[in-house]
Amino acid sequence: MNTEERKLADVLHRITPEPPRRVTVEQVAYRLVSEPKLGRQTRGRESAGPRPRRRGPVFSRALAPVMAAAAVVVIAGAGAGIAVLANSHHNPPPLAGGGSASSASSSASASSSPTQTSSSTQQTTSGTGVAGAPWDAKLIGHQALVQGTLVSADGSLYAIGNTSTLDRINPATGAVVASVPYNMPVWNPPVVVGNTVWEVSSYNGGNIVLQGYNARTLARTSSLLVPAIGAVSIGGQGVLTSGPDGDLYVAAGETVAVVNPAIPQEIHRIQVLAGKTSSVAVSPDGSKLYVGTGSSTSFRLVVFNLPSDTIANESTLTSGGAGGNLVATSGGVWGTTGSGHSEWVWFAPNGNLARAVQVGQGAGGGLSSFPSYSGGVVWVGGTGNVVCASPATGQVLAKADIAADHGVDQYFASPVVSAGQAYSYYQSDASQQTGLARMTPPAACTGNVSS
Amino acid sequence: MDTLTGVEHLAEPDGFRDFVEARSSALLRSGWLLTGDWPSAEDLVQTALAATWPRWSSLRRQDAPELYVRKIMVNTFLRWRQRRWNGEIATGRLPETQAYDVFAQVDARQSLLAALDRLPARQRAVVVLRYFADQTESQTAEAMGCSVGAVKSHASKALARLRDAPGLAELMTGEVAS
Repeated sequence: MNTEERKLADVLHRITPEPPRRVTVEQVAYRLVSEPKLGRQTRGRESAGPRPRRRGPVFSRALAPVMAAAAVVVIAGAGAGIAVLANSHHNPPPLAGGGSASSASSSASASSSPTQTSSSTQQTTSGTGVAGAPWDAKLIGHQALVQGTLVSADGSLYAIGNTSTLDRINPATGAVVASVPYNMPVWNPPVVVGNTVWEVSSYNGGNIVLQGYNARTLARTSSLLVPAIGAVSIGGQGVLTSGPDGDLYVAAGETVAVVNPAIPQEIHRIQVLAGKTSSVAVSPDGSKLYVGTGSSTSFRLVVFNLPSDTIANESTLTSGGAGGNLVATSGGVWGTTGSGHSEWVWFAPNGNLARAVQVGQGAGGGLSSFPSYSGGVVWVGGTGNVVCASPATGQVLAKADIAADHGVDQYFASPVVSAGQAYSYYQSDASQQTGLARMTPPAACTGNVSS
Repeated sequence: MDTLTGVEHLAEPDGFRDFVEARSSALLRSGWLLTGDWPSAEDLVQTALAATWPRWSSLRRQDAPELYVRKIMVNTFLRWRQRRWNGEIATGRLPETQAYDVFAQVDARQSLLAALDRLPARQRAVVVLRYFADQTESQTAEAMGCSVGAVKSHASKALARLRDAPGLAELMTGEVAS
């Protein structure tokens, strides 16, 4: 080591504090019991050295980190008949002429635009099979996206690219048809309202900046500063969402700001008084606002009646730590709690965490677990299985196991549905294979349930 | 959901408890440098130890349990960073609220974490392994699954970035009380 390196080492040793508590064997044992895949992942590998390279058509190790970061799976409704575009909480339905967010659904062909480099009416790629994948998944391409940012609206897919871009993707071909540089300051999927894609472009201290992009070209169209009252949460997971009337709801410090994107201007402010807000969701009928707050060890959910702003319920989940990714449906709210291996997705009927139930197995292994509400049902992906569940009751309607790839988990993120097909992240660390795939979910996942 | 009752059926490997008790503090401090907060550090260390448990006997024979734990920690950290929050740009950090800390210590820690936040994940991992965990270049390369040359490159780039980090220069010249 040279002098500079020694000084850095000294600083690291000198400044790094002692931990507030130690890890115990009992905690480790609990992790093994509650997450048996932690133990399984090491089977067959008797060397502490790097995992041996696999032969065959895989990516080079140098490319692995990038390629492993994200991929997209296309899940075709096909014969199962996912007939219409999802009225997703995060993905409001398409607007006729940029009007109300409650307008009717559309097909993929309706999304064609002169600005697109490839038409969305192109025939869907047939794809290649994925061994052990649920619902006959077939890879049809490769995308590098940030997990959990894929949404659908108006026959297009939108996601945050792994190279700091906001992308619009043609769901028929998987091709990126429009892209704009975008750095994600806090995890949040794009929110599409009318002909504008909204994202958080700054989320720091007391100021939040929202940016609007043309839904077709992704040209930036508007920008709005939303002051936070109290510092913003550093653990935000889903800090921006939209209501059925198209208004935007932003977790803004210890408040939630309501923005009319048509003006665009803040029109209302809701005091939460339960700590820094980290996640927001609005019920499909616009009558309830769900706000997540909390520390790294507990997650608090506050339910507001709208438009009176009166608190309908407050409850806390202490077993899994921080949470977020709220998605509201007719029966309550869904979300994630925990981090890393301990992440799991729950459903809280009427927003009461005391009655929360776990849905799906979660992803584990540092992969993202989150619910998606799309195609009339709620989806929860992961590494163990993919499920679709009733938005009214939380009941699992269908489940498909995900087989391991040579003993290593494969990951299918929670799907979103667009124009009769559903899309999700996919990756296999074993084969280092990622990409777009298509599968056919069962009829139970067609959303023919009250939402 | 699983319950703790299953713990009874896990046979604790011989020597595992001693290792956890002896090394968890150092591992947690490495985790803190990697992730920037204690809950994530605990998650990282627990994850690595849980993955180590089934292979403990073999690792102990090779006299390499800590190297393996650090390898799992680094790779898990890199996976986390590649995924959800890989697009996140740390531009601010809330002040610590530990009342017993003197302000200088809190400032120093925040300066250190802010400096580390400037680094890409792999450069940060190299810094922690090389300069905090005192791993050799070859050990660091093995833990990260890359070449020694790549470790040198990451270290060089990391040092260059850290030179420009506000507050870190003062820490390295000892001008701020620790």
